[in-house]
Amino acid sequence: MKHKIVFGSFEATCITIILITTQLFLNYPRIMMETAWTAAWILSLYISLVALILFVIIVKLYENFEGKDLIDLGEFVAGKAGRIIVGMIIMGFLLYITPVILREFSENIKIIGLPHSPLSFVLMFFILGMIAASYMGLEPIVRVSAIIVPVVAVGYLLIIAGSSRYFDISRITPWLGSGPYEIFIKGLPRISVFAGVLLVYLLYPFIRTKKNFKTVGYLSILFASFFFFIGVLAFSLIFQYPTGTESFLPIYQLARLVEFGRFFQRIESVFIIFWVASALLHLSILLFLTAYVFKKTFQLKYYRPLILPFALMVYTMAFFPHNLPSAIKLESYFRYFAWMITFLLPIVLLILANAIKKLKKNEEANE
Amino acid sequence: MNKYIASIKNLFTFKEPKPIEQFILLENACDEKQPDHDSNDNTKPDDSNKYEDTDSDKDKAKISKKLTENLKYMKRTYSIPINGDIVLREFDIVVKDKTIPAFILFYDGMTDRDVINSAILQPLMLLSNIDIKGDEKNIADFVKNHILPQNQVKVSEKYEDVINEINFGGCGIFIDGIDIAFACDVKGWEHRSVERPNSEQILRGPQEGFTEVLRINTALVRKIIKDEKLIVEDFTVGKRSKTACSLLYIKDITNEFLVAEVRRRLENINIDYLIDSGELEQLLEESSYSLVPQLMATERPDNVAAHIANGKIAVIMNGSPFALVAPVTLLELFHSPEDAYIRYPYVHLIRLVRYLGVLLSLLLPGIYIAITNFHQEMIPTDLVFAIEASREQVPFPSVVELLLMEVMFELIREAGIRIPGPIGPTLGIIGALILGQAAVAANIASPILIIIVAVTGIGSFAIPNFSLGFTFRVFRFGYIFLGALSGFLGITVGLFLQSLMFVQSKSFGIPASVPFGPKTSSKKGSERIFRLPIWKQERRADYLNTQKEKKQPKVSRKWIEDFPKKGGDQNEA
Repeated sequence: MKHKIVFGSFEATCITIILITTQLFLNYPRIMMETAWTAAWILSLYISLVALILFVIIVKLYENFEGKDLIDLGEFVAGKAGRIIVGMIIMGFLLYITPVILREFSENIKIIGLPHSPLSFVLMFFILGMIAASYMGLEPIVRVSAIIVPVVAVGYLLIIAGSSRYFDISRITPWLGSGPYEIFIKGLPRISVFAGVLLVYLLYPFIRTKKNFKTVGYLSILFASFFFFIGVLAFSLIFQYPTGTESFLPIYQLARLVEFGRFFQRIESVFIIFWVASALLHLSILLFLTAYVFKKTFQLKYYRPLILPFALMVYTMAFFPHNLPSAIKLESYFRYFAWMITFLLPIVLLILANAIKKLKKNEEANE
Repeated sequence: MNKYIASIKNLFTFKEPKPIEQFILLENACDEKQPDHDSNDNTKPDDSNKYEDTDSDKDKAKISKKLTENLKYMKRTYSIPINGDIVLREFDIVVKDKTIPAFILFYDGMTDRDVINSAILQPLMLLSNIDIKGDEKNIADFVKNHILPQNQVKVSEKYEDVINEINFGGCGIFIDGIDIAFACDVKGWEHRSVERPNSEQILRGPQEGFTEVLRINTALVRKIIKDEKLIVEDFTVGKRSKTACSLLYIKDITNEFLVAEVRRRLENINIDYLIDSGELEQLLEESSYSLVPQLMATERPDNVAAHIANGKIAVIMNGSPFALVAPVTLLELFHSPEDAYIRYPYVHLIRLVRYLGVLLSLLLPGIYIAITNFHQEMIPTDLVFAIEASREQVPFPSVVELLLMEVMFELIREAGIRIPGPIGPTLGIIGALILGQAAVAANIASPILIIIVAVTGIGSFAIPNFSLGFTFRVFRFGYIFLGALSGFLGITVGLFLQSLMFVQSKSFGIPASVPFGPKTSSKKGSERIFRLPIWKQERRADYLNTQKEKKQPKVSRKWIEDFPKKGGDQNEA
């Protein structure tokens, strides 16, 4: 029964794309613009490239550990203690970001569409969706993502296409924005936007083969980079640097510009559907992972009894930030430091694991 | 009190799930073996067999040599003379100068009298005198070989076998001095002839529908498929009703595991009476609580034949004009058999209209509520004025107004089915008046709302599958509530939950949302949202894991290969 759930690389790619790119609907274009000014699109391309290179390294290091996720690696390196440490780190990572994202999405939906509803009410809808999805398990979440992601992607491209008539190339000059140092050195920690890649390491036992692992990793990073790039580019082509950094919900601002003829002028509400669908998927997989990682770390038999307590925790923690700006601040911290867990932790673990494997081999050879 | 506390506790506490092995449709050539169902599942029916009636031992009793004993037994079994429609006719046979008493037993009305008279009674009573060349000493052999000119005669040693035959329109023959009985097939009950299907009408394509007689139905399918590899495997379901069912599949196409699983389920149904295939469907499906239909019920032999040819199985039941097809995906339930018969370019239009109808029937009321209550800015100004003007006089909030009209519509729909034929048109008039004119005139509903309810209703009739129509009718009310609670947020959460439900639902090991989630191979031929031209449908659906995946060669219209040469030559000449 252990790993009976197996799904294809398409489904895994879809869910990873969602986990990486949902921040596009939150603050991503603005964060890029704050760091690199008019050169936000260069920064977006640059960090995508760096993330891809780091992933290539990780794939190389992973060569000998087919089908093992990070927690298994932790166990391989340092036994039970290693497993628990790695598991706790990932849990901390998940429990930090889930309430923040939940809060941000709920606040945004409240602002866009439900100004009179209390926040707790809006949150409740999200949390109910998350609980239902996590209860049904990984397989349904992943399958739903295979259906929803293409639809959301088309909707997103429609927003970009619909707003394209306001593009003005002069808005992205000066070309290098805040300068090469700011972009290429100071902007480096921004690879944390690819924090969602963590999912690929955790899904490894489900997608099983090396080939799938590579496909899912590369495809999701490439697609996410593409969506990031066009989003940031469109945003900076429409909103000039100082104005853009003050804009709330960048992609929503783009959606507001979309109009098809005289009759359909305010269709941005329709995009709430895309927003909420991707947010639900994103949050569901996060909640599922929290319970799943906890189960795996402490070698429990079932993850389902953990869902309700974790959901309650996430729901409560979502109220910790005083207001939306403080939640955004919390997310921006995350987007600065998450690379340590997404890229540094696996690299360190894999180097150690490879070293230990070599040592063991040598010992066996000596004996 | 304790009971309530326990049930509330059960709701919130975690119970260890029972380790149930779910059926997974494996590939035929796969090395992995199916879980050994026999070990754990066969115990269940055995246990429940305990309540079998006590007569069963007697039924297995052997037929006696003495006619008087047999007569007594049969009279007791059939409660003669209380039972009015059973006919017991005693007579004498003269065989080789001996006079032997005998009797026949059959149900009046279920059998063909002429056949009994001319092919059973006449030869036995009159023609047995004729000097027949043959030297059988045994009376049984003599009777069977020479004086029963009947095409289906079963010889049985047990009462049970004869009784089963008699119950199913046969004629039992008991003769003194031999410990066997004959059962002749003389079925001849009144039945509906093959007519147009009532619930699945199409314009282009065959117009035959199934009837209530099993053999006619299997013949209707065999008539279309005409393949000796088409297997019609017989089962009886129902301990008392002994309803005959047939499992249809093509031996060298259908996945063997699928056939084995259906066979296992059919053999392990333990109920007393089975009346209709609607009941059989509920006994065969995996989850009774899922809103998604897991078998497709169809009245059309051509539909069944098409599905069987594609590697599925069908179950036909005596007494029901609906065959069950499995496994079935959600997308297939949206398709009508007509889609295959009309030309390729037209299918897209038909299917688009159908999908649109489904979407409207599902979401339109919910979206209307969401937009009018939460997202008014979406509506263009002129339309806002129009809606507002039409709603000005209506005293209810829009949700109440909508629910009122929807309930009214559901009422008319339900009553329309139950209403006796002659007063049918009255309902139409009342419905039109209530839903249309009067409701608006009385300021109970706004005209725009009437349009919405009407469009929703029409949309729901575009769903070709009856069961799926129910699914969407139920969901529609959910979306009304969600839309009223929190606008598009609620509707999206509803869509998310609905897709989770669809994705999780399985029909004989196949997820309902195939081929989208899980995504299956997009090799040529498997049905997607739209159909391919018929010559491009080269393969059977990937998810069915059939034994023969290929349906036709890459070039199925061979004439097209020679075509350019000939055409060119002609042009040059």
